[in-house]
Amino acid sequence: MVPVEEATLVDCNGRSTREINELIRGAEGSVVVRNPLGRHCLGVAILKPLQVVFQGPVGWYCATMGDGLEAEIHGNCGWSVGQNLMSGSIVVRGHAGSSSGATIRGGTIRIDGNSGARTGISMKGGTLIVGGNVGYMSGFMMQTGTLVVCGDAADGIGDSMYEGRVFVGGSIASLGSDAVEAEVTEGDLAELAALNVEPSQSWTKLVAGRKLWNFSKKEFEVWKAAL
Amino acid sequence: MCGLVGFLYRERYGPVGEIQVKMLDALYRRGPDSTGVAIYGHPRSETYVLHARIDASDGAVESVKALEGMKDVTSAGADLRAEVTWAGELERLADSVEHANGHIEVTSIGRSMEIIKDVGSASDLDRLYGLSQREASHAIGHTRMATESRVDVLHSHPFWARPFADIAVVHNGHITNEHKLKRRLEMKGHRFFTGNDSEAIAVYIADKLADGATLDDALKDSVRELDGTFAYLVSTRDGIGVARDPFATKPMLWAETDEFVVMASEEVAILAAFPDAGLVPQELAAGEVRWWYL
Repeated sequence: MVPVEEATLVDCNGRSTREINELIRGAEGSVVVRNPLGRHCLGVAILKPLQVVFQGPVGWYCATMGDGLEAEIHGNCGWSVGQNLMSGSIVVRGHAGSSSGATIRGGTIRIDGNSGARTGISMKGGTLIVGGNVGYMSGFMMQTGTLVVCGDAADGIGDSMYEGRVFVGGSIASLGSDAVEAEVTEGDLAELAALNVEPSQSWTKLVAGRKLWNFSKKEFEVWKAAL
Repeated sequence: MCGLVGFLYRERYGPVGEIQVKMLDALYRRGPDSTGVAIYGHPRSETYVLHARIDASDGAVESVKALEGMKDVTSAGADLRAEVTWAGELERLADSVEHANGHIEVTSIGRSMEIIKDVGSASDLDRLYGLSQREASHAIGHTRMATESRVDVLHSHPFWARPFADIAVVHNGHITNEHKLKRRLEMKGHRFFTGNDSEAIAVYIADKLADGATLDDALKDSVRELDGTFAYLVSTRDGIGVARDPFATKPMLWAETDEFVVMASEEVAILAAFPDAGLVPQELAAGEVRWWYL
């Protein structure tokens, strides 16, 4: 971590979102973003190793389309934080809106608080950790990667997942279509310990039942439920 | 898209108009077509306050002044405001005002509620109607991005639940069983005045309240009976309710303190009004409803 005193300061007050993002992308080493005040699309498309600290709540699509950045948000964030992250890390010191970590391909996103509906939708890799609870249909259509929920999962967790793993540390309101429970192995527990996460109760592991991979007329009821 | 905001002081009156303007300005991008609020001042025991859309050039103000029971009839821009003494049904009052002149459309009637809405931004609304000067106990507001009916005052939110006094709705989304709902309510004698789906929610909720349902029951029923995508706020003389559809398609946040409750589509609106309050807004869950009373 580069000390904050040596960081480039970017104050959002009086600047357009485009100006803020150009200043962030032009910086080297470390950037501190002041007064984000819930603005949308801050810190998007950062494609190099760069430490970005947002000193306050941010709006929608924060730190999306990133590759290699290390972002930290001191406050809540809106919808789709870190969408399509390729590599790097994003930490949210607050709650997140819906669709957090949508379609990420790599890297790690850690949300200290709760995250809304469709958290980790269509994940294609990477690790998404939620310290609190997740909303409706989280992990929907995930393809690879790991979604870790330390708290409770709302209805439809892991719906229509192709592959990947979901770990839930609390209660599960209901499983989504074709999400099935699997045994938590020693290897899984070691991996979770390395991520420094604690379940609110105990870990449940969900994987794809693979019944939706191929259409079968004999299992029409499965498809009817999924659609 | 559309932007929704709500604000309620639990036990006092305060600068609710100013708070609404700040929050709605922050949500301008969610709805640049029109802006409106339903704001609740001190309730009257003897009179109603009525708002109507007029064409000021054709003598509408004079026509309304000539009606029985009217006093303090004023107009600003295209909005007419009147204090009315009326003992009969409110539908008849609205009808008589609209028949007084060819170009009058009643937009709200209430003991405390006033709906102020127009095309343009919250700043435009403030400049025309002095919204930020208004003290109130609570209010709901809306910035509209029109998707399925005309861009004009009549199709702007909030929608008054005509003819029920003091009830209004702001809505973000699309109700797909609008026609079925409207038909059912029309069979009970209600009328609809726009092709807008959100008008159906307002009358739907008000009808349930008139039949004796509590606000929370009406909200819970609506999550089951409304089809489509929605986050909406409904305001009554003594409270505000909020509901989100079972698929959580539309955003809705809320935060509260001992003093007040605030609701908005996005946190940027809450931060615009309360940058240093340290509020931690929560997202309403899929299919969740909440309600707060004065």
